[in-house]
Amino acid sequence: MTALLSWLRRDLRGAISLGFLAALTLLAVLAPLIAPYSPTAQSVAEMLAEPSGAHWLGTDDLGRDVLSRLLHAIGASLYASVLAVAVGAAIGIPIGFVSGFVGGWFDEAISRVIDTLLSFPGIVLAVGVTGALGIGLTNGMIAVGIVFSPTLARLARAQTLVIKHELYVDAARCFGASPWRIIRRHIMPNAIQPVIVQLTLLLAMGLLAEASLSFLGLGVQPPTPSWGAMLARAYSYMEIAPEQMYAPGLAILFTALAFNALGESLRIALDPTMRRR
Amino acid sequence: MMGKRVRLALRRAAQVIPVLILATLVVFLLLHLVPGDPAVTLAGENATEEHIAEIRHFYGFDQPLAVQYLHWLANAAQGDLSHSLISSESVRTSILQHFPATLLIVGLAMLLSIAVGVPLGILAATHQGGPIDTAVTSLASLGVALPNFWLAMILVGWFALQLNLLPATGAAALTEDPVSALRHAILPAVALSAGGIAEVVRQLRSALLEVLSSQFVRTLYAKGLPPRLILWKHVLRNVGVTLLTVLGILFNRLLGATVVVEAVFAIPGMGSLIVQAAIAKDFPVVQGVVFAMVLVVILTNLLIDVLYSMLDPRVSV
Amino acid sequence: MMPMNHLRRRDVLLGSGAAVLTGAAPRQVQAAATVLRVSNRANPDGLDPATGIAGSDHVALYPIYATLVEWDYATLKARPGIAEEWSFPDPLTMVLKLRSGVLFHDGTPCDAAAVKFNLERCVNEPRSSVKGDVSSIASVETRGTDQVVVHLKLPNTALPLALSDRSGMMISPKALASPNGVVRNPVGAGPWKFVSWQDNARIVLARNESYFKPGFPRIDNLEFTIIPELNTGLRSVIAGENDIVFRVEPPQKVVIDRAKNLTLVMGPTLYVHQFFLNLSHPPFDNLKLRQALNYAIDREAFNKATMMGLAEPTNTLLPKSHWAHDPSLDAAYPYDPAQARRLMAEAGVGNGFEFNVLGYPDQTAQQRQEVLIEQLGKVGIRMKFTRASVGDSSAMYFGPEKRGDALLAAWTGRPDPSSSYSQNFAKEGFYNTGHVQLVPEMPEALAAAQSSVDLDQRRETFRRVQKLVVDNALFCPLVFDPEIDAHGPRVKNYRPNLLGKPKFDEVELA
Repeated sequence: MTALLSWLRRDLRGAISLGFLAALTLLAVLAPLIAPYSPTAQSVAEMLAEPSGAHWLGTDDLGRDVLSRLLHAIGASLYASVLAVAVGAAIGIPIGFVSGFVGGWFDEAISRVIDTLLSFPGIVLAVGVTGALGIGLTNGMIAVGIVFSPTLARLARAQTLVIKHELYVDAARCFGASPWRIIRRHIMPNAIQPVIVQLTLLLAMGLLAEASLSFLGLGVQPPTPSWGAMLARAYSYMEIAPEQMYAPGLAILFTALAFNALGESLRIALDPTMRRR
Repeated sequence: MMGKRVRLALRRAAQVIPVLILATLVVFLLLHLVPGDPAVTLAGENATEEHIAEIRHFYGFDQPLAVQYLHWLANAAQGDLSHSLISSESVRTSILQHFPATLLIVGLAMLLSIAVGVPLGILAATHQGGPIDTAVTSLASLGVALPNFWLAMILVGWFALQLNLLPATGAAALTEDPVSALRHAILPAVALSAGGIAEVVRQLRSALLEVLSSQFVRTLYAKGLPPRLILWKHVLRNVGVTLLTVLGILFNRLLGATVVVEAVFAIPGMGSLIVQAAIAKDFPVVQGVVFAMVLVVILTNLLIDVLYSMLDPRVSV
Repeated sequence: MMPMNHLRRRDVLLGSGAAVLTGAAPRQVQAAATVLRVSNRANPDGLDPATGIAGSDHVALYPIYATLVEWDYATLKARPGIAEEWSFPDPLTMVLKLRSGVLFHDGTPCDAAAVKFNLERCVNEPRSSVKGDVSSIASVETRGTDQVVVHLKLPNTALPLALSDRSGMMISPKALASPNGVVRNPVGAGPWKFVSWQDNARIVLARNESYFKPGFPRIDNLEFTIIPELNTGLRSVIAGENDIVFRVEPPQKVVIDRAKNLTLVMGPTLYVHQFFLNLSHPPFDNLKLRQALNYAIDREAFNKATMMGLAEPTNTLLPKSHWAHDPSLDAAYPYDPAQARRLMAEAGVGNGFEFNVLGYPDQTAQQRQEVLIEQLGKVGIRMKFTRASVGDSSAMYFGPEKRGDALLAAWTGRPDPSSSYSQNFAKEGFYNTGHVQLVPEMPEALAAAQSSVDLDQRRETFRRVQKLVVDNALFCPLVFDPEIDAHGPRVKNYRPNLLGKPKFDEVELA
């Protein structure tokens, strides 16, 4: 706890981004309580209203309060990012650890698969797979997770390759520890730090991927609000209500910035060589 | 010396084939392990069970997956990427028609990324820790986090709809009307290049910092060479190698990002093609587009590898 | 039929067109070649009229294929096409008298033999998508080169207008015999010849110099640019990159009004947004729940929210301007949530019910879904949506899978109303996906509507069919789409039609 506090004191950027994300999570949880209106309550009389005292950010094409929709969309965005990263981690990290640890032809083959997957333009694959699996947020994010997995596998493998030649791992092996035990007790704890940094950075990519898929109509499905889908609707009405496109875009931008900044801060905080500097 | 390079290139080229086969297999499995029967969609209105079975047989959907895949692969090896289930168009023709528009905006975006990113990256690295460095790296962070389709919307709103400077939609063929083609490509390319510039700046800055803090450069400083000379003569030589690496990453990333940007600008490129095909479950088209994109990415990487070995003699495979 | 001055003027122009072919003065004339650039929403699913499916294909099919019968733009009453006239010597025989000298684009004659070939193909071709339209045909024979005798299995006075649709689009038999067919290389007898088609990008057509209507078309080349998002399509017309965009969404009317260089063209259509209901299983095998659904929808509010109030709310398939519209049904299902709740309570689901519905994923479709989710939610009717493309959701709902309880989509309309009613409400009708007949009187009422010839008599028979459908709430119609088109300053003489599928033969460019 004190370590965390002292880190935060030293790293303003990290503190701000962590604070922002914590506040965002809080807002997502509290959205039903603090949002001024229901995110789906429509009002034919107030379609595309400009910002006012009653509607701070105006209303959308169906007369719904934009601020309330923005708040209620946080949940879907965070869920989407976390889901994509979790899927990527669940597939990629174990494969990376095992491949790096086992080595030999197995590692060679896995590396080849990883390289292949890395040469896929990510969102293209996600779009193709979402179309096939059926349109919806969860399917879309699973597809994005699949796209993330080779990055994580490669990182985990590289870390394992370094650590498995460390003296303490050799020692454990000499004492007859099983491979699983070595992976679990020695390799994972030591290799996980760069992976955590990468996971944080991928959260930002997941957020942007969710927004892109929702913009294309392949992600979050109505009436659930989503920043990407709000932008798609705003684009339809751009000639009539151009101001509609700013709030959801800024929300995506700031959240992605916060994930990235937190990742960078973690990289510095967790990297022993950097810390010494 | 030349023989070695040719051998290297050939060896790399030979490695491309298993990677391609693997890539197509992955896509094929992802698309076909999914429930649903395209034959029903194809049969259309008033379709009877026999009619559907007929269509299933006609397209070979009743064959085992392995047979379907090998059949596809055998045809693909001869340049036949099958036909669209919806419009019967040859997938290869579709791809050849849609790729130029995509390549134009991606190419232009890469040029922009380098033209803006390289000077900024050098500026940041040579002023490390100073206000210029802070400003440039902050901009780069912004570029990474910026949703490019949102930037595209803003550009359409400002430059096309309000100021009427550039076209809001569509594309023109570079071979038919170069001026119009470039005018159409500018806004999409700018929207794409935000992320590209950020990537170039970050990679170049960190590569340069590494060189600047290396023993070799420190020795040069110790020898009393003027800092400007050191930068131009010794450091920038390393920029080429870094740039090559970045180009590969950039190309791959922009090719992906173009999907959403094309939707904003209604550009008839590979992105529009795959989005429409994916929604309509037109599997041969999805498969073909992914295949073509992977092929292009892999060939680009191959080319970069070969160039890399020429620039940096230490690299050998 | 056509004003004479047009003929003379066009004869002169045609003469200069011929000069292009002979190479007399190519440069100047080519420079004057006129191109109408159309923003088209959908990539066709093939340009073979007898095997394609999508209602959006017609816009690209009409220019290429002349039809046996045409219709009046405003009322959809039948008009001569390739067939100059037609008659029913007895209820089971229809005789078509063809114009002489009509040629396909490949130079082969569009004569009685070609018509017989095409009609038989519509009936027999395994992939035919128009079997429903020609199911009444027993056999076809030719009488000389300009008469076709169609023998019918049962009286069908809707057949002439059916021949203004896909089944009446004549294809060159020679082109059909080529190994690639006409799906991507269409050859018809329409005003324009096919030049090229790039999927999801562009279709290019060029003037048919030997088109059978002298003086038409008035434009040399027709180019469709495929832009799926209508807003983007409209933007392309504002920017002058295209000349015309058709069937834009109502909210875009504001944009058209504001743009100084655009002309707004509006009109009614037969295109009705509706829920198709599966009547074979719960909840919609229950009359009370079908009625509750109809009462729970505030069509006027739906019109305001999604159509800017420009659409026409409805309880039937026929708009006010149609000859068979029945005004007595206009108020059949007013917005009455209390009545909806009462009906649900009588059906034993007082707290509401849930149903699975298929819908489309595009932005405007999602907007309509959102409004309906909100409206129905107020009386406790909950919708669980599965979203898929038009083709995909149709296949899931109407195909053997029979997925979902309802489909929120649209009926694009048919030139003759009896096709619409029999395809939706006959037991074997393709769009009656449950394939049950809940109304014992329906088969007889539909047959009567198909055998009457006189217009007043037909109006009476349709009154009966419509009332049966409304009383039994066999579907849930919402509103008729308004036709909203916009064109740039160069376009002259563009008229929409009640079918909502634009034709461009008459259009001129300034």
